[in-house]
Amino acid sequence: MSTPLQVYEPFKAGLPKLGRYGKSLWSRRTFIKEYSKSELREQHFDSVFGQLWLVLNPLLLSAVYFILIVIIGGTSDSARYAHLTASLFLFYLIANSLTGGVKSVTAGQRLILNTAFPRIMLPISALVIAIFKFLPTLIVFVVIKAIFGSPFTIEMLWAIPVLLITIFLALGLAITISCVNVYFRDIASFLPYLTRTLLYLSPILYEASALRPSLRVIEIFNPLFPILDSWSRVMVQGEAPQLSSMLQGLAWATGIFFIGTYFFLSREREFAVRL
Amino acid sequence: MTNELAVSIRGVGLTYTTSIDKKPTLKSRAKSLGRGKKLTRVVRALDEIDLDIKYGQVLGVIGTNGAGKSSLMRCVAGILPPSQGRIEVFGSVSTLLALGVGFNPSMSGRDNVFLGGLAAGMSRDEIAGNFDEIAEFSELGDAIDAPMRTYSSGMYARLAFSVAAVVRPDILIIDEALSTGDAKFKEKSLNRVKELRSNDRALILVSHAMQTVRETCNDVAWLHKGKLIQRGEPNEVIDAYQEFLHLGKSAAIDEDV
Repeated sequence: MSTPLQVYEPFKAGLPKLGRYGKSLWSRRTFIKEYSKSELREQHFDSVFGQLWLVLNPLLLSAVYFILIVIIGGTSDSARYAHLTASLFLFYLIANSLTGGVKSVTAGQRLILNTAFPRIMLPISALVIAIFKFLPTLIVFVVIKAIFGSPFTIEMLWAIPVLLITIFLALGLAITISCVNVYFRDIASFLPYLTRTLLYLSPILYEASALRPSLRVIEIFNPLFPILDSWSRVMVQGEAPQLSSMLQGLAWATGIFFIGTYFFLSREREFAVRL
Repeated sequence: MTNELAVSIRGVGLTYTTSIDKKPTLKSRAKSLGRGKKLTRVVRALDEIDLDIKYGQVLGVIGTNGAGKSSLMRCVAGILPPSQGRIEVFGSVSTLLALGVGFNPSMSGRDNVFLGGLAAGMSRDEIAGNFDEIAEFSELGDAIDAPMRTYSSGMYARLAFSVAAVVRPDILIIDEALSTGDAKFKEKSLNRVKELRSNDRALILVSHAMQTVRETCNDVAWLHKGKLIQRGEPNEVIDAYQEFLHLGKSAAIDEDV
């Protein structure tokens, strides 16, 4: 009889064997797909009105923030509105993977206590859900841009690498926060304040170039800043992004991903007794 | 009984740190700063366990609450890595631990069965191929498509048992799940377990129902406070265990509760 042999031994400090971990994660990719699908279905995003809400929600948000800008006396032309919507939609990709990721591990308690699987699947699923929520808003933005008669240029293809870096960053953040939440359950309640702060520290309600020199320091310490700035340049102005911004964004994303993943993988075997 | 080894447990110990607060928070951590209050507790769940399980064996695991039965099962299933020793598992394991399937109560029973199976490493087709049988065995009827938060605890347990019993793994672990459900389903699941006994399968049954263990198992291990006290012929071990409990052969422990 040929039987697969599994050996369970004490877990020395450090990481599990990454090759085997990656393989078992890859073999469960259907789980990630199915999980995101049923999660979206459960939130009714498979129905017409559910999808309408996905589009309507960010539109209403951008309308509200636009009123705010007009009232506090910013410029209020169509380019400004395009910048606001483009940046806000991308920001919500990150914010949604944070809010989805934070409880992904603690909500998967039953599964974690009863099944052996790579736990990192859970925050990855949260990211996939956030991406699915982001896609319709991308279409909305393209429509808005067309209505305003803003030109579509070949440089807009830069949107692809910018988006990939953003997804990478969002993944790192989701993994990190899901692990932190196991040890400090109130992180989930602090999260709205955190995302709100990030929103104001990012070039969304204002343009990066309009920032007072004395406040330039947030450009360095906000991981979202360079990537949102590049996104607006590419999507709104149709220009190529600054290479330094792209590299800075990639550095943030890589750093957060590796630190967060190391933290997660070295702790995940403890999750079953911590939940 | 074949002599092929299914599970080999060698000198396994399990120590873990768990938080005292049910939900550890940053707030409570900040408030207790500098007071030297302990926030975690070290639990020694298993101590130097040596146990071999062969194919064809039906092993009953008995012991009082907190004896380490569930911890040992989680180690065998690969959910918890042991702190010492080595566990070798030859074959596929399906677990039916006390909590059962269904991690997302707002999703339907069907979705939960699929997600649970996919997480355990099965393919979609494999689950789909077994699904009808699972649904039929669980006797849930239309409720299979209702959100699991609407289920009663008996329905939960029935679905969990059906998944584990229909999938036909090489090694099946059933943790205190036979005692849920009504008398009819209890009998049905017991019959199913008896059906599943075969020479190319190993069954591990964690139970407090001594009568069930006597009837079903051909081998019993008694755990107490993380240590293996006795292992051997069911009647012998169970008698010793019951004597230890000072209950003798009273009805209270023979009953399926």
